[in-house]
Amino acid sequence: MTQTTETPMVELKGVKKRFGDLEVLKGIDLRVDRGRIISIIGPSGSGKSTLLRSVNNLEVIDEGQILLDGVQVNRPDLKGLAFEKHINHIRQNMGMVFQHFNLFPHLSTLENVTLAPRKLKGVSASIARELGMELLERVGLADKAQVYPSALSGGQKQRVAIARALAMQPKVMLFDEATSALDPELVEEVNRVMKGLAEEHMTMLIVTHEMAFARDVSDWAMFMDGGVVVEANTPEHLFSHPDQERTQHFLRKHLGTQG
Amino acid sequence: MEFDFSPVIDYLPVLLQGVGVTLLIGVAVAVMSVVGGQIVAVITLYTRKMVNWPLRFFIWLFMTTPLLLQLYFLYFGIGEWILIPAIVVGVLGLGFHYMAYNADIFIATIKSVSSGQYEASRSLGFGHLATLFYVVLPQAFNRALPQLSNNMIIMVKDISVLSAIGIGEMVYVSQYAISVTFRPFEFYITITVIYYLINLMMEAGQTWIERRAAYRS
Amino acid sequence: MDFNLMIEIAPLLVQAAWVTVDISARALFFGFFIASALVVLRTSRIRPVRWLARAYISVVRGTPYFVQLLLIFYGGPAIGLRLDPFTCGVVVGAFNIGAYMSEAIRGAIESVDSGQNEASRSLGFGRLTTLQYIILPQAAGLMIRSVGVLAIILVKNSSLVSIISVVELTYQAQRLIGSTYKPLEVFTLSALMYIVIIYAVMGIVEFLYRRATRYTFL
Repeated sequence: MTQTTETPMVELKGVKKRFGDLEVLKGIDLRVDRGRIISIIGPSGSGKSTLLRSVNNLEVIDEGQILLDGVQVNRPDLKGLAFEKHINHIRQNMGMVFQHFNLFPHLSTLENVTLAPRKLKGVSASIARELGMELLERVGLADKAQVYPSALSGGQKQRVAIARALAMQPKVMLFDEATSALDPELVEEVNRVMKGLAEEHMTMLIVTHEMAFARDVSDWAMFMDGGVVVEANTPEHLFSHPDQERTQHFLRKHLGTQG
Repeated sequence: MEFDFSPVIDYLPVLLQGVGVTLLIGVAVAVMSVVGGQIVAVITLYTRKMVNWPLRFFIWLFMTTPLLLQLYFLYFGIGEWILIPAIVVGVLGLGFHYMAYNADIFIATIKSVSSGQYEASRSLGFGHLATLFYVVLPQAFNRALPQLSNNMIIMVKDISVLSAIGIGEMVYVSQYAISVTFRPFEFYITITVIYYLINLMMEAGQTWIERRAAYRS
Repeated sequence: MDFNLMIEIAPLLVQAAWVTVDISARALFFGFFIASALVVLRTSRIRPVRWLARAYISVVRGTPYFVQLLLIFYGGPAIGLRLDPFTCGVVVGAFNIGAYMSEAIRGAIESVDSGQNEASRSLGFGRLTTLQYIILPQAAGLMIRSVGVLAIILVKNSSLVSIISVVELTYQAQRLIGSTYKPLEVFTLSALMYIVIIYAVMGIVEFLYRRATRYTFL
């Protein structure tokens, strides 16, 4: 990975986390430069989701540091309201897309997208609506602005979720198995949106099972297993001729990922 | 603010008698309302609407009016014609009250035992009644247990209301003791504690029962 | 069935029924604030506070309302608390229903999928704002139904304040049975009034429930 002298957008240093007796992250180091797209693959239980979720502190790490654009995210020194203020502020610069969408069912599509900008950034209702509609256009769902999530297909919900995350103009987008819960024919529409983001040089961390997509879109790929990064390289290298036995084994198990 | 619990100690035997009456009533009402509730539920479900309306009316009435009002009605109403001891009125009143609530639960759970069970049983050669008894009711009872045990726990607390018609349970004997010793706070706080302990034991029993029931389902 | 008698005593019972409604409404109203306070205290970071709140809820729910009423009314003066019957009915009712309501509110909030909380927080909403914009709107339906059930129990419990001489529906009914020797007529009319009150409550609950869950039909 070519290093730049710029501050990396996301940096992880010696990150460790345990759930009870089980050590889920065993000391992870990661550096994501601005505009880079990193994909993280691995079997379930490898810690990849935990890793992603610790970037915006949905999982609190036990040891190590997580930095967003030079600012430390995890702050064990802060407690109570002080920490609340800090983490809320930092999270507004990150966007997360979940496997199960987590759209707000009691709000329309447009309201889902505009809620955060209006309430957290004080954007006026009319401007928020404009920006919201622009975003919905971008993900191809402008006509569904007044529709409620229950009436949308999985692929549509996920696209709205992406628009919702983008509405806060984040510095980095975190994708936690964004297409894993989708029917196969709906995966493509979401991939297309994500690809569009990649082309606009949004910094992205993508945890995924979609090997082909990961290879297509990312600049750098990481294979995780048992809480450690087994191998990390360019997609061509990792997917076609991985160095590690474990990586090869994993890729073989997932059909149509080699060659 | 000075408290003197020595009268409570003095009257301990009286209080314990009250506790005994409470527990006795509790058991009697529990048996009556659970068994009776199932019977009422079965009759309601397996007879035609034209015939079972009194039962449905009974269930509805006992569920929507206050217990105390029902007790006054039974006590002064029936007590007018036949001389029944208060405790019988109390047990019957509380018994009917909870029979209604339990019947309501059983009706729901009996219905929920899938008709497939009924068909399977019949195809094996069981008659209507046997099917009911051996297949449907046991499952319905199992499903009813959580809500049923909740009701019984609530019922024990309602026994305190029987003091209003002169039944010698915990509250009534306390009131007697208070009339002599003038220590209302001490006595009432004592029976509050006793009730709380009874409640804790019942909740422990409830957990135990539910765990056993889980094996069967 | 002596209908003439029923017509005669009806106004008395209606008047008493209003007292029932009054006491119940006030208890429910204040109970809501007590419940909200309990919900907050229950999740406090200060352990003794948390423990106290839980202990309070456990004791109030684990002991009979009637005993609580007698304790506060007759035992209250011993700790400097002298309340008139009506106020005592409202206060004890409020503190009692508050404990149950706090559990109902908690249950409703916890029933909302945790993913909602995660999505909201990941956008940068704090705890309070998440609750306000995302969780409560979704918990409202269940909350309203649960509180509705408790409100009905409250109305039926209010009959017990007759014992401490509040002239509400049951008190009046008992008095009239004693003076008219016509328990059937008195009971029929009083039961009817309770039923009217309770169905009115159910109607209000249903209306509020439909409004709160409007988004599920859209």
